[in-house]
Amino acid sequence: MANHSRRTPLERVEYVLIVSTLLLLVVFTLQPLLNLLALSLSEPDRVAGFSGLSIIPDGLSLDVWALLLQHPNVQRGIFNSIWMTATSVCIGVFGTALMAWGMSRPGLPGRRLIFLLVLVTIVFEPGIIPDYFLMKKMGLLNTPWSVIMYKAISAWYLIILIRFFEEIPKELLEAAELDGANPFQTFFLVVLPLAKPALATIALFYLVLHWNEFFRAMIYLNDQSKWPLQVVLRQFVIEGDKIAIVGANNANNNIGLAQINIRALKAGMILITILPILAIYPLILKFFTKGTMSGALKG
Amino acid sequence: MAGLEERKLVAATANGNVPAAGAGAGVDGLAGADQNSGRVARFFFQVRQWWPYYAMMAPGLLFFFIWHYVPIWEAKMAFENVRIIPPNIWVGLKNFQVLFSSPIFHQVLLNTLIISGMKIVFVFPVPIMVALLLNEVRSGTLRGVIQSAIYLPHFLSWVVIAGVFIALLSPTDGAVNQIGQAMGFQPVSYMTNTGAIRWVLVISEIWRSAGWDSLLYLAAIFAIDPQLYEAAEMDGASRWQKIRHVTIPGIVPTIATLFILNMGMFLSADLNQIVNMQNAVNASTIDIIDTYVYRMGLSTGEYALATAAGLFKALIGMILVITSHLVSKRLTGKGVW
Repeated sequence: MANHSRRTPLERVEYVLIVSTLLLLVVFTLQPLLNLLALSLSEPDRVAGFSGLSIIPDGLSLDVWALLLQHPNVQRGIFNSIWMTATSVCIGVFGTALMAWGMSRPGLPGRRLIFLLVLVTIVFEPGIIPDYFLMKKMGLLNTPWSVIMYKAISAWYLIILIRFFEEIPKELLEAAELDGANPFQTFFLVVLPLAKPALATIALFYLVLHWNEFFRAMIYLNDQSKWPLQVVLRQFVIEGDKIAIVGANNANNNIGLAQINIRALKAGMILITILPILAIYPLILKFFTKGTMSGALKG
Repeated sequence: MAGLEERKLVAATANGNVPAAGAGAGVDGLAGADQNSGRVARFFFQVRQWWPYYAMMAPGLLFFFIWHYVPIWEAKMAFENVRIIPPNIWVGLKNFQVLFSSPIFHQVLLNTLIISGMKIVFVFPVPIMVALLLNEVRSGTLRGVIQSAIYLPHFLSWVVIAGVFIALLSPTDGAVNQIGQAMGFQPVSYMTNTGAIRWVLVISEIWRSAGWDSLLYLAAIFAIDPQLYEAAEMDGASRWQKIRHVTIPGIVPTIATLFILNMGMFLSADLNQIVNMQNAVNASTIDIIDTYVYRMGLSTGEYALATAAGLFKALIGMILVITSHLVSKRLTGKGVW
């Protein structure tokens, strides 16, 4: 951006300070996560006084991870999270795309009214109690559908997709029409393939949103067997309910999981919950960053 | 409750106004349908023509009706005496009177304002500074590495972040207390310290969002005309002069938009964060409207009172968001939506 051919010593000192400040921020961001990773990968019987500053495992062992991944509650949480997230993402992407396509058509009668009705939902949210009673009345309480359905379509992602669809060149659509395509064929065969990058971005948004969802799951699902991983994690790490993972029998008799360092177990649980996000993080960086940087989701 | 994150995203990606007023060609069909029957007929003719589009929108429209409009009807509970055996009895504003005369609700309101205020003052400027620093990094690779690292926490849930902070702040092994002890301080249990817990909210919010939010400002910086920098250099401007006179003026609209957005969310103070940071000891200091609604409604069973509190927040929130949208539109040409 600038011409840096002649740098004074002062400028060099400034530059070092700038980069060091940013590296300090990197350390502040990553150290707590790396510390938990190191803790969970250490030999479980050596971590009693594991320092919060260390990012190097004390010994190397997959015991904690293996024990957690074999744990029925954790497995069920993973299973619930995966299928609930996958279902929500599918419903979300298709529902949003279909609605956005209609709303992006200039001349659609009632378009302004529909847009206004969607905006109202962004501006006015009557709160969790009415939502809860609605779920109850519909008989969805304590079923995963309560969590999946209540934010299946995000008004915000709808707006993003509408903006994308509005920029699809008219000529392409007219060409499809001339070839005798009906509106459904145009949508599925012309628009959707064109919108792949935008749809991928929306899918990622929904994926992160639903994988991280815990509050509604926590209030709607009484049955522990229906809990997604976030709620299982919350029970164990935030509520401090040791029994949830260790098991009452183990805890009472100090056997099995009760002999594993509790901090290491908690660290392991946190990392298992983050793992899917880490796995798709390169994609997230690519799509989220691009989406935000380019101003429009042109992919 | 969905909120600020999406708002920021949409504001940042805004490239003008969305359909809104009169963007479409053709007759809107909804206005003045009673003026003559010809228009009504034309409206129905149009609807018939457009039916495939309505069919495609139907699932979405149904979704918004059920999950966003029916709850508004349900919220009438706020004006009722909710009885175990229906029907409920209409009591007008009585629940609101009870609410506003409750000392607990006063405290809750105060907490909300304090926490939101602290976040505006101490969290809001951080991503701006991060973006300014990132912009000075000459090596694209180094900048990319830093960005990849500091964006990560944005994508973690508050359950995870609270878990990380509980470990980080642990009085026995947490990194913060280890450093503190090395410097000769007594260990502090930050999570159960009523004086410290609001700062924990501030710091954890910085940890989560400072990196990612800096991207919004960085995008604005990159959009600044490079000729302005070249001109400044010709005039012999130093790094700081360029930041002061070119970069910062260039991102003021973005700063204004995001600031106003934050103001619009002032009564929220982030339920997801607090619900995971709260414990029996610190609860009173960080009890906000949303946690109050949750507790009164779903634990205590004071449905009407909780709904009234939620409705109060929704109404004030609506006024704040609409005002902030209009102010933002006025000042920067960019709205909230």
